[in-house]
Amino acid sequence: MESLQNSPRESAVQDAVSIATRLYAATGIDKRFGANRVLRNVSLKLAPGEVHTLMGENGAGKSTLFRILAGIHQPDAGQIMLDGRPLDLPNPGAAYEHGIYLVPQEPALLKELSVAENMFLGMLPTNGRFPARIDWKTIRTSAQDAISTLGLDVDVRDDAKHLSIAQQQLVECAKALLRGCRIILFDEPTSPLTSREVGILFGNMRRLREQGCTLGFISHRMDEVMEISDRVSVLRDGAVTDEVDRDGFDRARLVRAMVGRELIFDRKRAHRAPKGEPVLSVRGLAHDPVFSAVDFDVRPGEILGFSGLIGAGRTEIAEAVCGLRAKSAGTVTLSGKDITAASIRDIIAAGLVYVPEDRARHGVILPMSVRDNATAGQIGRLQRKTGLLNRQREVAIATDTLARYRVRARGIDQPVGQLSGGNQQKIVFGKWMSTSPKIAILDEPTRGVDVGAKDEIYKLIEELSAQGMAIIVISSELEELIALCDRVIAIYGGRIAAELHGADITAARVGAAFLGAGTH
Amino acid sequence: MSGTITTMPGPGRRPKARPRRELREVTLLVATIAVVCGVGLLRPSFMSFSNLEFMVLSAVVLGLVGISQTFVIMTRGIDLSVSAVLGLSAMVFGLLSTTDNMPVWQALPLCMALGAVLGCFNGFLVAWTKIPPIIATLGTYSLYGGLTFIYSNGLQVDQVSRNFANFGNADLIPGLPVPTPVIALLIVSLVAWFVLNHMKYGRSILAIGNNSSAAYNAGISVRRTLLGVYTISGALAAFAGLIFVAYTGSATATTGTGDHVELQSIAVALIGGTAIAGGRGNLAGTVVGSVFLSVVITALVFLQVPAIWYSAGEGLMILIAVTLGARRGAKS
Repeated sequence: MESLQNSPRESAVQDAVSIATRLYAATGIDKRFGANRVLRNVSLKLAPGEVHTLMGENGAGKSTLFRILAGIHQPDAGQIMLDGRPLDLPNPGAAYEHGIYLVPQEPALLKELSVAENMFLGMLPTNGRFPARIDWKTIRTSAQDAISTLGLDVDVRDDAKHLSIAQQQLVECAKALLRGCRIILFDEPTSPLTSREVGILFGNMRRLREQGCTLGFISHRMDEVMEISDRVSVLRDGAVTDEVDRDGFDRARLVRAMVGRELIFDRKRAHRAPKGEPVLSVRGLAHDPVFSAVDFDVRPGEILGFSGLIGAGRTEIAEAVCGLRAKSAGTVTLSGKDITAASIRDIIAAGLVYVPEDRARHGVILPMSVRDNATAGQIGRLQRKTGLLNRQREVAIATDTLARYRVRARGIDQPVGQLSGGNQQKIVFGKWMSTSPKIAILDEPTRGVDVGAKDEIYKLIEELSAQGMAIIVISSELEELIALCDRVIAIYGGRIAAELHGADITAARVGAAFLGAGTH
Repeated sequence: MSGTITTMPGPGRRPKARPRRELREVTLLVATIAVVCGVGLLRPSFMSFSNLEFMVLSAVVLGLVGISQTFVIMTRGIDLSVSAVLGLSAMVFGLLSTTDNMPVWQALPLCMALGAVLGCFNGFLVAWTKIPPIIATLGTYSLYGGLTFIYSNGLQVDQVSRNFANFGNADLIPGLPVPTPVIALLIVSLVAWFVLNHMKYGRSILAIGNNSSAAYNAGISVRRTLLGVYTISGALAAFAGLIFVAYTGSATATTGTGDHVELQSIAVALIGGTAIAGGRGNLAGTVVGSVFLSVVITALVFLQVPAIWYSAGEGLMILIAVTLGARRGAKS
């Protein structure tokens, strides 16, 4: 602690914020949720002028620790210390008062309220006289100032529902600054962001670091962690397994600390060019102004990647192909059959499935059991002639799904909501693959999934492709596309900007293509 | 990239111009005028003074309950007990001022306090127990409605004193032809508008309706705010009951509940552009919506729809109006 008092970064702090730069520490934190022991004797020290990253698999307790540090949860045992003095945080409001702010995993902006009001939520300034009138003018101008400092081009009078996730996250940052918070915790902010948006977020984090703020960060992405962190703590099963500073960064060591075993990194799919008639052909697909002139084929056993920024039209194209979204022109042919105008039901029956990005919204029913979720796609086949469900078949299918997709669950009756993100995703896979499709479109299949589970999902995808299934993977992660795909289509502004094969699928080429370089 | 900040543009698909707010209250006003003119031409007695007075008074009653319902719906809640509170307050007021000869200035605050207590109990159920608002207030709807029967012994109260009836009919300011209840509604509307748009309390209500856990995390006292909203709802429903008695001069054990005031108040809020999912409300829409609904329901009578059809017709119309309203709302 003494050494930190003299850190060169701290001397550079020159601002009007009343709350001084702080050393924020937790010692011996224990936390249970019911019978589940989430944190065991965890100690962590966040120093001013540093980005301190928490790594760990899903369910390792990273978010819980941050939520305790932000006053949202209260620890069962242990002590939080601010500048060496014990601190009690009975609620989030108390954390703000001490200059501590958590940027949540899912930005929790209030959609129907303006951006400005969101930023001042819970601390709307008033003119002080009775009746205390809200000072909207001050709110607008200070909100706009704070937003502009972060390089965000948004009118603060707009409703928050019009913002992208990346913009919402920067608004959360601005909220922290407006509250004069000098200790800012980011709970996995980058998972929904494209690499360019991550760059903007990191630019802001670096600036805060230079101003002497104390920053906490959670991420699954190794590259990001290496790029931004000054110090990394690794959590596994609720306990800290390793802590290293910048000089000690080593991928293999961090991964070992996270999962307790070695993983193969820098995967690269062997170059293959599957032959045979295309299973899916898309010609001239368009829906102005979202996308236009989309042509592509996918062959059996091929893995095709869709890369691009969020909002480039990747998901929209996939949804249009699957009949989930209107299209104004073009044809979609599945195994020689025109399915352009077919119903969703018929398209699934014909062998095309779409596994959407947002699991919780479209993929699984969280409070329902593994069994109910795994069989939801084929409830029709489970019906006996009498109309009653065949429960034995249901159990058999669910048990088979657990085994085949290597789902870690207590049993088929465990609610899916209690599983980790990776295991939920495997259930979603199992549900769709049990209908034996010819082609599957997977939208961000590893979003919010930790490193270990990611690898297993990649293996599953490769197995399915080896069995002859055609697969389209939509992804924002370059590593993922490189690891998986035989061919990558880069989408920019709703059009196919480039197509890359085999050895051409490199981070530089794919990244350049989806940023629109080489178009016009 | 280090240290440099690039600007992040707004969402690509959206034009730069801010979307124009839909003026639901204007649309409703035009529709109301159209109905009044149309029915007035077909049936001249529709435009008689006594009928216009009736429509205005029922719009005031509906408007008062509608405003409090709008606040409740903005928190993502619902208050089904308003009609029962209205009825109980009407009955208590009626009996106090006839049987007990209590002067209006004593009975009025007493009844509003009673409404506030009943509403406060709703608020307690919603904010402290984990009963969903629709179930909690369905229970108190039955409870409060039953209290009216117990208190009145199932009997009707009528011939409420002239002095009392004057409260509903006379002009507050001599010479100005605006009935007191209309002035009361105007004052309540203005206060409600001010609270919603210019006071922390109103913004807390909207914040809770948008996302109550985010509101809590921002340091807003969710429970206290909800308690207040349901308390105000009870007090305003009681006030509406007083105006009802003041105008009709009588109350029965099914006043309020028999007229489905709870359904009507939800309907005017939704027709007026308030989102049933909470977080967004339109007070002007609610006020104009209550005039609209009161006019349309009265028009049914004048268009000689058989009396046995009233209830079904009213329900159907409310469903149509709310469906149309909700669809317009979803588009914006």
